[in-house]
Amino acid sequence: MALGDYWKQLSWFYYQYLLVTALYMLEPWERTVFNSLLISVAGMAVYTGYVFMPQHIMAILHYFEVVQ
Amino acid sequence: MVFIDDLCIGVTALANETTQGRGFRRARVITLHSRRLIHVPLRIPDFVNNIIQVGGSFNCEMSSRSRLTKMTESSANKLLNGDACNRTINEKKSSKNGFVKSHCLFQQPHKYRRTVEKNQNVTPSSSLYKKPFVESFEETPLLVAVLTYMGYGILTIFGYLRDFLRHWNIEKCHVAQEREEQKDFVPLYQDFENFYTRNLYMRIRDNWNRPICSVPGAKIDLVDRVSHNYNWTFEHTGKVVKDVINLGSYNYLGFAENTGACVDASIEVTQKYGVGVGSTRCEMGNMDIHEELEQLVARFLGVESAMTFGMGFATNSMNIPVLTGKGCLILSDELNHASLVLGVRLSGSTIRVFKHNNMQSLEKMLRDAIVHGQPRTHRPWKKILIVVEGIYSMEGSIVRLPEIIALKKRYKAYLYLDEAHSIGALGPNGRGVVDYFDLDSKDVDIMMGTFTKSFGASGGYIGGKKELIDYLRHHSHSALYATSMPPPVVQQIITSMKIIMGEDGTTLGADRIRQLSENTTYFRRKLHDMGFIIYGNDHSPVVPMMLYMPAKIGAFGREMLKRNIGTVVVGFPATPIIESRARFCLSALHTREMLDTALQAISEVGELLQLKYSRHQQPHPSLEWTSEDSQLQD
Repeated sequence: MALGDYWKQLSWFYYQYLLVTALYMLEPWERTVFNSLLISVAGMAVYTGYVFMPQHIMAILHYFEVVQ
Repeated sequence: MVFIDDLCIGVTALANETTQGRGFRRARVITLHSRRLIHVPLRIPDFVNNIIQVGGSFNCEMSSRSRLTKMTESSANKLLNGDACNRTINEKKSSKNGFVKSHCLFQQPHKYRRTVEKNQNVTPSSSLYKKPFVESFEETPLLVAVLTYMGYGILTIFGYLRDFLRHWNIEKCHVAQEREEQKDFVPLYQDFENFYTRNLYMRIRDNWNRPICSVPGAKIDLVDRVSHNYNWTFEHTGKVVKDVINLGSYNYLGFAENTGACVDASIEVTQKYGVGVGSTRCEMGNMDIHEELEQLVARFLGVESAMTFGMGFATNSMNIPVLTGKGCLILSDELNHASLVLGVRLSGSTIRVFKHNNMQSLEKMLRDAIVHGQPRTHRPWKKILIVVEGIYSMEGSIVRLPEIIALKKRYKAYLYLDEAHSIGALGPNGRGVVDYFDLDSKDVDIMMGTFTKSFGASGGYIGGKKELIDYLRHHSHSALYATSMPPPVVQQIITSMKIIMGEDGTTLGADRIRQLSENTTYFRRKLHDMGFIIYGNDHSPVVPMMLYMPAKIGAFGREMLKRNIGTVVVGFPATPIIESRARFCLSALHTREMLDTALQAISEVGELLQLKYSRHQQPHPSLEWTSEDSQLQD
């Protein structure tokens, strides 16, 4: 089933992520701490982008005199 | 990890470790500061991708007339004699101060014209090497190096966090600590130095010290262990993991067995002599079988006389201090074993380290030593000893013995060759690296080796001229204070050595040597074609495969055990920090089917863990080889 395949692929990617960042060696609670830190930092970056991107794009277009 | 801080070396020696420029004596406990008995603690790898075709690049003709005419007459007479070192060499050499750089035997490669193309099968007849010497140490891919450092960084941060929790008693501390009353005293345990042990090693500790409950042959039984507190303590479940393919034991010729001629002979000898000896060699522990063994070893190696010791590590560390002392110079390879490093440090000589297997570096150091003499006084060195190993077990590289002998003869230095891994495993007759290069064993002054790897026993030997060995018999610390080898072990060595030499009447020895050579070629070829990064010489039975990332060290060991294959993984401090590896030791008892199973599993695990880092595009050039291609065909 396609969903099963996707799930396998996803879990393989998660395994690679664990290996590369050495989370594989850490205990489950340490993994939780690290993952939540990472997700919160990434989430904050995405949120900031969402809030400020329109202003930045308008400023760029204004600089290049596409929009007055 | 191959750890040495569990060794109880409480040796306090008046180590006159004169570093360059400083000459004061100081007493120091040898290992407390220098826990890692390696010459260079940490370094960033700078291996270049060099498949070295030595046959063409070192075009040295030791016996040719043209080389001799460049030397002055005084040294020309002594050049090829290899006589005993005389103390007057430096007076002659120092007069040639202006000519230091122009008579190097081994110039930098760019000064030479490469007359031979980089084809593996060409061997120019005028070179020192009779067959191609191919070693490769592929460079670490940059992305992998960066990710490895990142992984270690994350582990370090979490290590600090855990130490903090342990310190404030939020978490139970399993590490050894002083009692409450003693906390104000001078600390007994070095907390920070064990940071690595506590926080990185402990997490994947189940890959090491696995208890074995059968003979360490080609297949092995392991005791099943489980840990409920993340490897701080282990419990045996009572089950046994049977028939694990053993790629970790040093069993090159397969003499670690519990049936056969060796074992029967050992049983007889145990029934005659018992097991313990009860004395040292010098007192009452010298048995007739010891004498027989030493004569046999001398005959095997082709030297005048040999002496055996009960422990291989002790052979190095206790005998080098006897041979050199203050005022001598020891030139030691970068990657020498801990026993050699301990021996040279205990001796009190000046130690200079040359780059691994790098003959230009060695030659430069020899020339500098002879020209400039001892550090402040500029007196000539009493003797210069070059300490190298036959096969370096962490790299799988073979020493460049012909060049070293050429250098040694030219500059009148002594050579100490530690053949721990190469005796029995290399060479068409199994006589080690000297046999492999087809050289004269009289050129090597001190041939040392161990019986642990290829003979299935334990202990070490030193072989050389009769005067040297007689001197060692009376002055070696190991002979004076350590008990001698137990009789069953001695008989095991005698029987196995006779089998290797072919003196027992069968061809078992020759068959095993051939089988080992075939296994080596096959295994290395296959791993290389699969795309792993393999270090070392093509003919060495020690195969290090690079893993790099710390999590993959643990993952590799565990995944291989799930597939019933026992491997040894090694990390810091036995290797540089980002170059962790899995080390396979091949054996003559491995059949082709076992190797195929193992290779299949390694390939699977390699795909799963993404270990196939090698960046060469095409498979191995000589594709027409057959699987029976071995170096023994004459």
